[in-house]
Amino acid sequence: MPHFRLGFCATYTLHIVEVYRGLIMTKPAVVLIGGDKGGVGKTTVARTLLDYFARQELRVRAFDTEVPRGTLKRFHPDVTDVVDINHVPDQMRIFDTVNSTDATVSLIDVRAGLLSPTLRALGNIGFIEAAKKGDITFVLFHILGPSIASLDEIVDTAAYLGDARYFMVKNFINNTYFFEWDEATHAAYFKRVPGAVAITIPKLVEMAAEQVDLASVPFATFIANKKQSGAPASYSFVLRGYVRHWLETISAEYDRVGLTDILDAKESPRPPIGRPRPIIKIAES
Amino acid sequence: MTDKTTPLYVVCSPFRRVGKTLVSRLLTEFYVVNDRPVAAFDLADEGPQLADYLPDITTIADISDTRGQMAFFDWLIADNVGARIIDVDRRVFKNFFTVVQEIGFFEEARHRSIEPLILFIIDPDPKSAKAYTVLRHQLSQVSLLPVRNQIEAAAIPYGDAPSKVNIAPTSLDIPLLGSSLRALMDRQSFSFSRFWRAPPADLPVSLKYELGRWVGRVFFQFRALELLLGCA
Repeated sequence: MPHFRLGFCATYTLHIVEVYRGLIMTKPAVVLIGGDKGGVGKTTVARTLLDYFARQELRVRAFDTEVPRGTLKRFHPDVTDVVDINHVPDQMRIFDTVNSTDATVSLIDVRAGLLSPTLRALGNIGFIEAAKKGDITFVLFHILGPSIASLDEIVDTAAYLGDARYFMVKNFINNTYFFEWDEATHAAYFKRVPGAVAITIPKLVEMAAEQVDLASVPFATFIANKKQSGAPASYSFVLRGYVRHWLETISAEYDRVGLTDILDAKESPRPPIGRPRPIIKIAES
Repeated sequence: MTDKTTPLYVVCSPFRRVGKTLVSRLLTEFYVVNDRPVAAFDLADEGPQLADYLPDITTIADISDTRGQMAFFDWLIADNVGARIIDVDRRVFKNFFTVVQEIGFFEEARHRSIEPLILFIIDPDPKSAKAYTVLRHQLSQVSLLPVRNQIEAAAIPYGDAPSKVNIAPTSLDIPLLGSSLRALMDRQSFSFSRFWRAPPADLPVSLKYELGRWVGRVFFQFRALELLLGCA
């Protein structure tokens, strides 16, 4: 009967699509942003990343580990949950759902002092191993402070990295001067992590940073002169211009290191086992 | 936002004594003569400056810090201001164009039906040609017009200037003027619009005629510029 034929064809096509989707599915990615020192601008970098992902149309969910306040959540409430990274149920909430969530990218803003313990915990639960096997893309943004102590963090961090993509971020937004760093010293530290890539976040005009903070909106929303609700705002055109220029510079930096390609990595195509079989029974029922 | 396009003139040069303030005065008074709304901005910190000649319609601005930039550019881009004339002093030349580029000022101006035109006073100094070329390269989306001010640089062989600076096919010309008339218009009390409406009775007829013709030639070019910008 024509009805059965149509059902058969449709189901068969759907099945092929499913198989095809399975083959080209984007690998889940976890982006960790951390640094053992406070006040180095971890959340600012997390905010720039969320704006960048939105611009690249990458589906993302974010976790803010600054309990109970949640600074990242204040700026990106729609995609952010506040979690206690030390709390096992919250760890399960993040890592057990990496494969099942609709989001391609799970971004975790790790609060000051918790980077090393978090990496250790990730090693213990087998997450680092999964990244090594290529089941998950793991990216670490290590926000460095201006002191030599911050360089020591690189060595500590490197021990847990596995096959993670490691970005060392020099963040100038907080008027930071990396005065304690001389070329030879930091080169010696950088060499210890093969494949590490340095990223520079430029300084944003102070008044512009303050106004975005007061507005409690993503940078992109501030540039678009909108409030968190989407209603029109009346932010200074000059400040919006400065934020736009700054964010474009950072986006160019993320483009330079090929961040989208890293996160949008497709799973290795596995050869299908035999010919995909049509699900005849469902079509006939 | 208004539907009608309004002009925004940036009168500039990286050098002093080339006639920026004269061109700014003439432009401002061109709108005053025609009873059209105009706002002039003085980014100079050395006199005699635009605000000395046209104190009632000139705002002195300082863009050396963010607060000053907000006060200036946010207001400049507001609606219903009419024609805008900015006299950019040589000392703020670099900072002005750096800020303008960084905040995307000209793009936003166009978005708000404000058409910018940069009037660059050319000078035989090679640095002037270089500054012009850099500006033209960096602001390729904005109209940039060289201004040949023969009053301030009458002794300079201007015949060479166009090829040196690779100027656009058109330019704004401020013609030569006799020294007595030049002294007259250098007085801070002198107004081109008042002269245009009612020349002073005590001025000899020949000078009245010469100055009237001179102002007429300049205003005619301004009118042509407005047409070019689509602001007439």
